[in-house]
Amino acid sequence: MMGKTDGGENNEGGPASEDHLDGQQAVFSALLEDSAEDLYEHAPCGYLSTLVDGRIAKINTTLLDWLGYGRDELVGRRTFSELLTVGGRLDHENHVAPLLRMQGGINGIALELKAADGSRLPVLVTSTVRTGSDGQPLLIRSTVLDARDRRAYETELLRAREESDRERERLKRLNETLQKTLLPPALANVPGLDVAAYYHIASSDEVGGDFYDLFPLAAGTWGFFLGDVCGKGAGAAALTSLARYTLRAAAVYDPDPAAVLTNLNTVLNHEYNGHDPRFCTVIFGLLAPEADEADEAGFRVTLASGGHPPALFMRADGRADYLPTPGGQLIGILPDAHITTTTIRLGPGDTLLLHTDGLTEAHSAQAGSRYGDEALLEFAGDLAPTTARDAVAAIRDLLDTFGAGVDDDTAVLALNVPRSTREEQK
Amino acid sequence: MTHELTVRSRTGPAGPVIALAGELDHHTAPQVRALLPGLALRPGQQLVVDLARLTLCDSSGITVLIAARNLALAADATVVLTAVPDRVSRIIRTVGLEQVFHTHPTAQAAEAAWTPPSDSAPLLPPGR
Repeated sequence: MMGKTDGGENNEGGPASEDHLDGQQAVFSALLEDSAEDLYEHAPCGYLSTLVDGRIAKINTTLLDWLGYGRDELVGRRTFSELLTVGGRLDHENHVAPLLRMQGGINGIALELKAADGSRLPVLVTSTVRTGSDGQPLLIRSTVLDARDRRAYETELLRAREESDRERERLKRLNETLQKTLLPPALANVPGLDVAAYYHIASSDEVGGDFYDLFPLAAGTWGFFLGDVCGKGAGAAALTSLARYTLRAAAVYDPDPAAVLTNLNTVLNHEYNGHDPRFCTVIFGLLAPEADEADEAGFRVTLASGGHPPALFMRADGRADYLPTPGGQLIGILPDAHITTTTIRLGPGDTLLLHTDGLTEAHSAQAGSRYGDEALLEFAGDLAPTTARDAVAAIRDLLDTFGAGVDDDTAVLALNVPRSTREEQK
Repeated sequence: MTHELTVRSRTGPAGPVIALAGELDHHTAPQVRALLPGLALRPGQQLVVDLARLTLCDSSGITVLIAARNLALAADATVVLTAVPDRVSRIIRTVGLEQVFHTHPTAQAAEAAWTPPSDSAPLLPPGR
């Protein structure tokens, strides 16, 4: 039973399969016409044979159609080089022809052909040199591929790249502009006080969050501040803007430095709380002209700190100290942030320097180490006594020596009471 | 410069423990902030943030610690920092948060110091 069944299947299956194959071959033959000539003439690429002197000996219909020429206009009359654009001809003479001579072939060289109607056709040409039995070149056979799509693709790539370059440049300019709007165009002129400031941008890709200002308040007093907003980018810029305007407004409302920072804290705490908290650290100061017992001009400076690195006090006698404001808490996070204040007299020759931690957190020359508070204090000690302009210039030079080691923005603001002419004469 | 941060979390006897290793900065902070809401934190529990292997913490990193504290407060839980590196501890002091964050030398010490809320002690004021 089993044997019979198997045999029956074989007998039935064999003739059916052969019929099927015969049928397929017939269909293929009809489709292909089996003509090498037809394949040559109507191939999906151009074929071209040229003599050693460049004259066209044979060309297929596909390429003739692309170029819009009749066969008798080209064969025996024109050289391949004459079909090229001026640029293509130079390329051909300088690169293609020598390669053909040296290597006996070229592979996928991009050239531009000029059609009968003057239009240009980007192509990729592959050629081989056919040699005779004596080894002498007889003719050059070339295939010519239509590269219009490829050229369009390359053009598109190039365009996209240019677009991306432009966008990057635009973003950079936008960031720089935004950064500038976050800083005062000019600091107020305070009679009897020299002021200098500097803002170091660590990266033009993202807006940093350092800020400072100096502005007049009522009755011959001035307010100033310098701070640092956490984070970078648009979110930080928005917070910086809010902090600046709130500080200016709060100082008009109640110029007591602790009150100013408390008000700022309340505003920021309402705005930013919960899952994505944001804060800033800031020193706010109030300047009031004050002559001392010896009738020496100067200012009483009241400083309040909300979690900010302490200000540097570089005295006329050459000493330098941090002005500690311990326990002052960052602004914007805690509903009842603790603010600490300190008061100093800024006399002739004294300089007060406020900075953000981009300076002390900079990577210094030794790998893995940060510049640090101690190094800055030492630097200030060497600098004192100094002036606002000299102090800021020195910090600027210091930042330059760190180079790429400064990975956060840095702001510095220096206030100095110039030595009186009377003192200089001493 | 690479900004690598690895976050490991586990559940200890006192509550969730998250260990941060690497750099906690502007680039890596969102990664931790995104993870925080997923922590199961019950009233009376203690969230431990282990900083033993933290190599960098900038101002954005501080916001993450604050977000962790906000999360704990919202859940009637507490938060402690453990093995705080010197540099991070200096930043915390500068911004005046040393009174806000309790710290322990190790995550184990933090868990040992935790007092479980007893079931008999009512969360509501006595006398009710």
